[in-house]
Amino acid sequence: MSKNKQLALVIDLNVCVGCHACVTSCKEWNTSGSAGPLSDLNAYGASPSGTFFNRVQTYEAGSYPNTQTVHFPKSCLHCEEPPCVPVCPTGASYKRKEDGIVLVDYDKCIGCSYCSWACPYGARELDEERQVMTKCTLCVDRIYSETLPESERKPACVLACPTSARIFGDVHDPLSAASQAIEERSGYALMPEWETKPANHYLPRSIMETIQLARNEN
Amino acid sequence: MRPQFSIIFFTTLAGMAQGLLFFLAIADLQGDIFPAAFLANLALPTAFILLVMGLIASFFHLGRPERAWRSIMMWKTSWLSREVITLPIVMAANAIALLFAFQGQVPTWVWSGLIISLIALWVCTAKIYQCIRFIQEWSHPSTLANFILLGITSGWLLLDFLSNIWSQPSSSSNQRISSVGFLLLFFALCLKLWIWRRNKNLKPKSNLASATGIKGIGIRQISMGLMGGSFNTREFFHHQSDFFIGNLKKIILVCAYIVPMLLMLFTFLSPSPIAIGVALLIHYAGLLAERWMFFAEANHPQNLYYQRVS
Repeated sequence: MSKNKQLALVIDLNVCVGCHACVTSCKEWNTSGSAGPLSDLNAYGASPSGTFFNRVQTYEAGSYPNTQTVHFPKSCLHCEEPPCVPVCPTGASYKRKEDGIVLVDYDKCIGCSYCSWACPYGARELDEERQVMTKCTLCVDRIYSETLPESERKPACVLACPTSARIFGDVHDPLSAASQAIEERSGYALMPEWETKPANHYLPRSIMETIQLARNEN
Repeated sequence: MRPQFSIIFFTTLAGMAQGLLFFLAIADLQGDIFPAAFLANLALPTAFILLVMGLIASFFHLGRPERAWRSIMMWKTSWLSREVITLPIVMAANAIALLFAFQGQVPTWVWSGLIISLIALWVCTAKIYQCIRFIQEWSHPSTLANFILLGITSGWLLLDFLSNIWSQPSSSSNQRISSVGFLLLFFALCLKLWIWRRNKNLKPKSNLASATGIKGIGIRQISMGLMGGSFNTREFFHHQSDFFIGNLKKIILVCAYIVPMLLMLFTFLSPSPIAIGVALLIHYAGLLAERWMFFAEANHPQNLYYQRVS
């Protein structure tokens, strides 16, 4: 483990209910800040489309009676080896040394979309109105805020989650709640095959194993 | 990936100009095959105009073209940045060669510098795509080989056309030019067919199990989290039917390769500037389709997350 701080989210797939509160709270906070709006196209039309930093998707697996429905929040994973950073021709895309957050400097971005091609997770979205690349900032303007009460210095999605499915913390600090959740509940990274070392982790659903055990006992 | 006409025009126009300059430099280094007036009044200006057109096309790719100058900053890590630096160097070398050609003789160091910058530009352009390791169609040396081979092939056809409208070549040199053109087209065709076969046999390294980590059999998406489309649904797919893609492949084979090869055979037997011009035009149209397909057939793993609207 590196000594540097690496802030990240750990997402508990056991308790996510797919309510999209993290999506709306993320949009609300990040469209209102000094970095500029996350614009919407055709917002009241038949086919609305807009910039979001966070999405909740839903998957199914298995066949009856062993089926499961998994709600799957997805945002920038703040990779420790971010493939989107070295490809940027202007240096607008960068990873902060002090806390590992991957950010885009909107004033330097030329909107070439190359970084979005270089992200296997599709975590980046070009804002159609501003024509710059946007992505999750881990609410960098909240977590270091000096005006918000200390209890609110967390990403908006974490505060909004009604089931506490999102754990925020330093994954390089073995004592943080995030690290301990990864350690104790076998947190995993997405697409490990590309060696991007995502900082965000997911906690696998254990409910299927619990059900299976109960069935075996009966 | 979504094919973008800005990049399609840039890579084909610049590639053709690079091929033309490459053969002019090689030929002149071999010993004054082309008269200086041909270089000064036709060949070098044509290459320069193509490069300028390519440069203009590339600006349409940017969301914020007024900030384009910033893209020279990250040359240490970014192939795109290196390309942005190399293109003006090629244009400058082209302009210097043009100035010397007006004075009657292009020195060896100018041609040598030009050749080096041309190869550097090919490498930079191809590496932009080749270095994205999870786009498996692109992440292979054949990407670079294809860019170079099609660049020199289209450049050769252009040189053939320009030298024909400048002066009627002797029948022996005409036969030589046509047979080289035929061979280049043939090699380019073989490479393209090999690339298409490789793409067809590629096994995607990522799948829904690795993308989501969900355990269990038959993982399927039932919602991508949005209904009206997003950047993710627009940028990473060609938005065409299999029928369209299949037919476009046939058009590419016919226009970019087979018809120009037949026309080369024709001009081998009876020299005709018109036939060479037609070959060049059809080849370029095919080249545009080939470059379109280069983007369309690249599968991005992020599409795993965007499979089902609801």
